[in-house]
Amino acid sequence: MEEESGEELGLDRSTPKDFHFYHMDLYDSEDRLHLFPEENTRMRKVVQAEMANESRGAGDGKAQRDLQEEVDELVHLYGLEDDHELGDEFVDENIPRTGVSEYPPYMMKRRDPAREQRDWRLSGEAAEAEDLGFGGWGSAGQCQDLREAYRYTHGRASEEYECYVIPEEEDEEEAADVFCVTCKTPIRAFQKVFDEHKEHEVIPLNEALESAKDEIHKNMYKLEKQIIEMENFANHLEEVFITVEENFGKQEQNFESHYNEILETLAQKYEEKIQALGEKKKEKLEALYGQLVSCGENLDTCKELMETIEEMCHEEKVDFIKDAVAMADRLGKFLKTKTDVEISAQPEFEDQTLDFSDVEQLMGSINTIPAPSAPVINPQVPNSATGSSVRVCWSLYSDDTVESYQLSYRPVQDSSPGTDQAAPSPPIIKTKEIRSCEEAVLICWESGNLNPVDSYTVELTQAESPEASGVTDSASLYRSVVGIPTCESVVQLQPGRSYIIYVRALNMGGPSVRSEPATVHTIGSYFRLNKDTCHPWLTISEDGLTAVRSERRTPARELSPSDTHFTRCVAVMGNLIPVRGHHYWEVEVDEHLDYRVGVAFADVRKQEDLGANCLSWCMRHTFASSRHKYEFLHNRTTPDIRITVPPKKIGILLDYEHSKLSFFNVDLSQHLYTFSCQLHEFVHPCFSLEKPGCLKVHNGISMPKHVTFY
Amino acid sequence: MALKQISSNKCFGGLQKVFEHDSVELNCKMKFAVYLPPKAETGKCPALYWLSGLTCTEQNFISKSGYHQSASEHGLVVIAPDTSPHCFLIGGCNIKGEDESWDFGTGAGFYVDATEDPWKTNYRMYSYVTEELPQLINANFPVDPQRMSIFGHSMGGHGALICALKNPGKYKSVSAFAPICNPVLCPWGKKAFSGYLGTDQSKWKAYDATHLVKSYPGSQLDILIDQGKDDQFLLDGQLLPDNFIAACTEKKIPVVFRLQEGYDHSYYFIATFITDHIRHHAKYLNA
Repeated sequence: MEEESGEELGLDRSTPKDFHFYHMDLYDSEDRLHLFPEENTRMRKVVQAEMANESRGAGDGKAQRDLQEEVDELVHLYGLEDDHELGDEFVDENIPRTGVSEYPPYMMKRRDPAREQRDWRLSGEAAEAEDLGFGGWGSAGQCQDLREAYRYTHGRASEEYECYVIPEEEDEEEAADVFCVTCKTPIRAFQKVFDEHKEHEVIPLNEALESAKDEIHKNMYKLEKQIIEMENFANHLEEVFITVEENFGKQEQNFESHYNEILETLAQKYEEKIQALGEKKKEKLEALYGQLVSCGENLDTCKELMETIEEMCHEEKVDFIKDAVAMADRLGKFLKTKTDVEISAQPEFEDQTLDFSDVEQLMGSINTIPAPSAPVINPQVPNSATGSSVRVCWSLYSDDTVESYQLSYRPVQDSSPGTDQAAPSPPIIKTKEIRSCEEAVLICWESGNLNPVDSYTVELTQAESPEASGVTDSASLYRSVVGIPTCESVVQLQPGRSYIIYVRALNMGGPSVRSEPATVHTIGSYFRLNKDTCHPWLTISEDGLTAVRSERRTPARELSPSDTHFTRCVAVMGNLIPVRGHHYWEVEVDEHLDYRVGVAFADVRKQEDLGANCLSWCMRHTFASSRHKYEFLHNRTTPDIRITVPPKKIGILLDYEHSKLSFFNVDLSQHLYTFSCQLHEFVHPCFSLEKPGCLKVHNGISMPKHVTFY
Repeated sequence: MALKQISSNKCFGGLQKVFEHDSVELNCKMKFAVYLPPKAETGKCPALYWLSGLTCTEQNFISKSGYHQSASEHGLVVIAPDTSPHCFLIGGCNIKGEDESWDFGTGAGFYVDATEDPWKTNYRMYSYVTEELPQLINANFPVDPQRMSIFGHSMGGHGALICALKNPGKYKSVSAFAPICNPVLCPWGKKAFSGYLGTDQSKWKAYDATHLVKSYPGSQLDILIDQGKDDQFLLDGQLLPDNFIAACTEKKIPVVFRLQEGYDHSYYFIATFITDHIRHHAKYLNA
């Protein structure tokens, strides 16, 4: 079979050259003017479509190999350069191969589309047979085949065509029960003894059925895959579509700006040249005018002389001689002076050479993508670095087309031999002025250097154990804040921990060694009393937590008003960290002490009592005639409250979130009073002693549970 | 003791119920209101007892005070009994003279155990509130018997104070709205005590908060008292908080007494500050 087809094909190998001789009316009218190759393409496509159609229902494809061989033959037949194309398509479509091979030779020539219609399993190779049939250009019969095949593919009825071997017809009478593998047809067992099937391999029909089903499933699976691929492809296409639009937009913009640039340049040149011409004109005209004027003068003088001379001629002889001599002198002088009759300015203007080289350059650069402008690295943000990493941010011009960025770095810390400048000395942390709360710490320090430094770095480690303070390994660094310009910094922390803080100074010579450490505990709030705000009659202890008012014998003299320290109310303010959230502290007082404790804005008027204005809130205790009186003052008003057990320790809760200030008797866990206060700015704790005595501030206390209810 | 549910309404995620039962102490049917917060569905909650004032029943507090939201948030079971036996309703006791005045007899039990006839059989509100009712509640509702507090208004304020002072350690906290602090010295108290307890004033002192404080031996109490400044009864000398405060100051019983400008004796006043009181109790009950 194969050989025969091969032969047939072989016969036709020479025919490709002859293709152009064929009658045009072999083809349908639409194709009349087309050359064969296109025809071929179409046919091929048609055939492939068929193949595809058939493969959907594909049945018992077995010999893919057969298919491949046949494809190869076809390829050779058609002299296709792109062998690949045809072959691949055929193979991919997994054409059900019932194989041409078992067809009796004459089947090749016949046209049995009917067969195809009735037995889809066979149609694949029938179509191929048609292809092969094409090979026989020489014969009219084959042309006939072609035409009929044509008609078939255009959907003609199949009943016109006979069938030869029609196993399926036999199927209608008696069911086939075995399957001939070799011929790839179901046959009845007895057929085995027939000539055709004598030597052939036979298997039970069920098996054949099973494998047929498998084949179907495989094909279906492949089809599904194809569907997915196509869908992906469609999506991809959409994306490309959009990208095309975008790119178009960019190009358009680019073009526009370039063109505008060119036009502007041209316009500018025009202006310049015109101006230059204008100047030139002016010059010329001026020169000429000058000449004209001097000419005129000359003329006048001449005329005058002439007149004088004429007059002279009419004079008496004696006068005439007198004048004549003078006149002769004059004339002589005059005629000596050269009159310049050269025209000073030429009427013609020089040809202007127009220099368009830069325009040419612009035009030339229109199609090139301009190199992007250099990105601008943002200045380093504090808190963006750790011991081993740094965060770099930069911005770019949105007009630039950027494909990628290149980031390179080199350490500049290492002392390179060229640096003259020595690294700075370490700063000194002002430990007494550290303020903290549960979520942040505010550290300030002295520079430690006479010369200015570039910046400071704050380093924090978590204090796991007391020994940790000696650790200098940067790997245990919790946080590093770099690029601090001033001698203070607020760092965010986790509540309920302890941290050790170091500060370094940094200049061109590198960083200093670490400063002496300071410890901070994020439990409760820490602050100190601010000596700067302290009324002169108060003394603040070293640790900044106790305020003492001593006995005064001398009458109080008027203190001049001040913005920084209290002058009327004998008070002092604390330096609470300017962080919102909640803060809790306690004040220890004496039962018999007259005091005020509360909070105030930093700019509260220091000439007034605490609670006497709307910038301060306080709890006031006065003890007189053995009676305790309590007031909760704001803007001079107080509710009427009586407390039977005087508190010795007052707990104060400042809640920015809920705008509340609450007071508690710590020992009894008793709630005393809560202000609702609008805290648009930060407030500071304030304390005043209305009589001699002392009060002590307790810091770093975690909020007790009873306080949490408020 | 069988409880009969009279009503049930959902409120702030919990349930406001009213029950009726046969009281042993009072020998008649009694009603009480109980609020079960959402938390009660899953576990035992602390109990807070409210004692209403003169002329009230269990209805006034649950309808007018607006306490439900706060109770729901803090997860407290709130119980509000009636203010006196209402025998006439059932036709049980039918005591003569019961309904003659609004400040004595019906609706004016004064939370004492009467010793005089004809009151002593039925008017035993002190025992009812301190013994029978808590046992009933503990047996029938998801409450923690160890965590109990008490508060009230006016006569109920007086009741709350004396229950707490006479039972040190029984209540975790106590508070009051415009309480009758010193009944022995005010017209109401004199009328009620002479009727219920007879003429022996020493018996009266056992039910007077100011006197009880003076001999209070017990554990720490934290008392919160709100008093309307424009309260007519304050001006009439019925309430006498100053005496109580003085006594507490003397004995160092912690009290925060707030005189609220512009407020009177009504439930509007109660509604304004009920949240503060419930928070006060929650602080100790949920500790």
